[in-house]
Amino acid sequence: MLKEISRKNAVHIMLVYTGGCNGCDIEVVNAVMSPFYDMEQYKVMLTWNPREADILAVTGPVTKKFEKALKEIYEAIPEPKLVAAIGTCAITGGPYANLGGDLGSSDQIIGGVAKVIPVDANIPGCPPRPEDILQAVASVIPLLAGKR
Amino acid sequence: MADTDRKERAEVEVPLGIVHSALLEPFRTRLFVDDEMVVDAEITYDTAHRGIERIMEGMPVQKGLILTERICGICSHIHIWNGTRMVERGLGIEVPQRAHYIRVIGAELERLHSHLLFFGHAFEILGHETFSMRAFMIREPVQNMLFVLSGNRVHYTIPVLGGIRPRCDIDKQKKQTLLSMLATLEESLIQFRDRTLNDSLIVSRVRDIGYLSKEDAVKYGALGPNMRASGIAYDWRMDVSEYRDNFDFEIAVSDGGMVVDRVAVRVAECIESISIIRQALETLPDEEPVNVSFELGPMEYQVSYNEAARGEIYDSCALDDNGRILSYQNRTPTMSSLSAMEVACIGDHLTDATITIASCDPCLTCTNRMTVIDEARGREYILEPEELRRLARRRG
Ligand code: SF4
Repeated sequence: MLKEISRKNAVHIMLVYTGGCNGCDIEVVNAVMSPFYDMEQYKVMLTWNPREADILAVTGPVTKKFEKALKEIYEAIPEPKLVAAIGTCAITGGPYANLGGDLGSSDQIIGGVAKVIPVDANIPGCPPRPEDILQAVASVIPLLAGKR
Repeated sequence: MADTDRKERAEVEVPLGIVHSALLEPFRTRLFVDDEMVVDAEITYDTAHRGIERIMEGMPVQKGLILTERICGICSHIHIWNGTRMVERGLGIEVPQRAHYIRVIGAELERLHSHLLFFGHAFEILGHETFSMRAFMIREPVQNMLFVLSGNRVHYTIPVLGGIRPRCDIDKQKKQTLLSMLATLEESLIQFRDRTLNDSLIVSRVRDIGYLSKEDAVKYGALGPNMRASGIAYDWRMDVSEYRDNFDFEIAVSDGGMVVDRVAVRVAECIESISIIRQALETLPDEEPVNVSFELGPMEYQVSYNEAARGEIYDSCALDDNGRILSYQNRTPTMSSLSAMEVACIGDHLTDATITIASCDPCLTCTNRMTVIDEARGREYILEPEELRRLARRRG
């Protein structure tokens, strides 16, 4: 009971960077933590502990090396949880996923996050602007409440 | 660095990563700790390997150069600039002076935002939220300046073969906007410098830790500000003609080799960058920013160096008859700077080790590399220090 109330009043985002270029990663940190956009004022926090997270934000294409770790992190987050794929890379694998022409797909990269874990929200952009991230988070919070 | 004895003697091993709040990026640090003191450290990074050099093979060169920008979201401009310079030199393409100036402005803005991100990150690790937030707050106008200059906050794609993209050209109004933004930025940066470097709390926390001697800096190949903080006065900007011939600037050096020196060098560099940007804006030559009359063709193997925010960046490539990339190679500074940090943590208190590692400003997106293709066994892996040693032992 107490746990439910407290979780509803503070949304924790766990940011996992699975091998993109860092652009998306920094824009998320910028949107949440930096005093300019400051999502923390809406009680949205960043965390690196899966057990206290509500939303898993993944940036970058999933590399093969990261697959296991990402699954484990996803498993460790308590229900209800949401997954947001942030940036073109996290949605489709971006420029890295496809070698193009006869070369086919990359040896190092699986592709978008959806190939590994179920995704609830896609935020496109390379990288998405912090405003977009703010808007996206604002729009998924009701989803989280609904899941509860 | 790899002394098996010391590792075995260590009481406790403290693994950090691959996902850890103090590291932000996926790399794994193993600290071997004896009574709270770090006796050995080992850093592995291999999770973010994307095989960009491989993807670029066979691509038309213009497309490949845009992809170089996606190597890193912090120092994106320097990758595409260095690649473009290299191809321009190889094919003998003339570049208008105005384009050089605007490219330099892009690179210096990038250095500013990269260093400010470093301060934000480093002070966050120290637990000094106020200064960390301050750094992020100062960084925001820099991002806005990049936005004004190019229309994007992160991947700005300013250079194109023969000059710069017309959307990044600086007209009268843009110049005024940028100059006034620059003045405000300079004011807040100078305040930030005076407060940070005189703040007893911050200084007491970063002084006397993470010592990297000049010899070790050379031996392990620390680069950029890390090298300059250990007393080696070299900066590629002294040799890159775009900088050397057009602007006056000084190279920040410090002899201490401690974490505090690495911070101080970067603070000084920020102030220098502002002066370079101002010089470039004020003396911007009046001409067409891009030369479109050139032919793509075969290019011999070329190399190019430049100074990224974190140190030396090296690119090399060759083109075939149709202007497609035959092979592309890119080497970035973090790899060797990070291995220097393995040495610098030794002898520190455990709690100081993360700030020491962070003080080389690691950026892992470009560093994941050295894939070994073992065709006989049909597998591919990234060479880690452990394996390197194993291979070495097998040889011996
Ligand atoms: S979407 Fe763009 S900014 Fe984001 S990780 Fe991919 S390449 Fe980088």
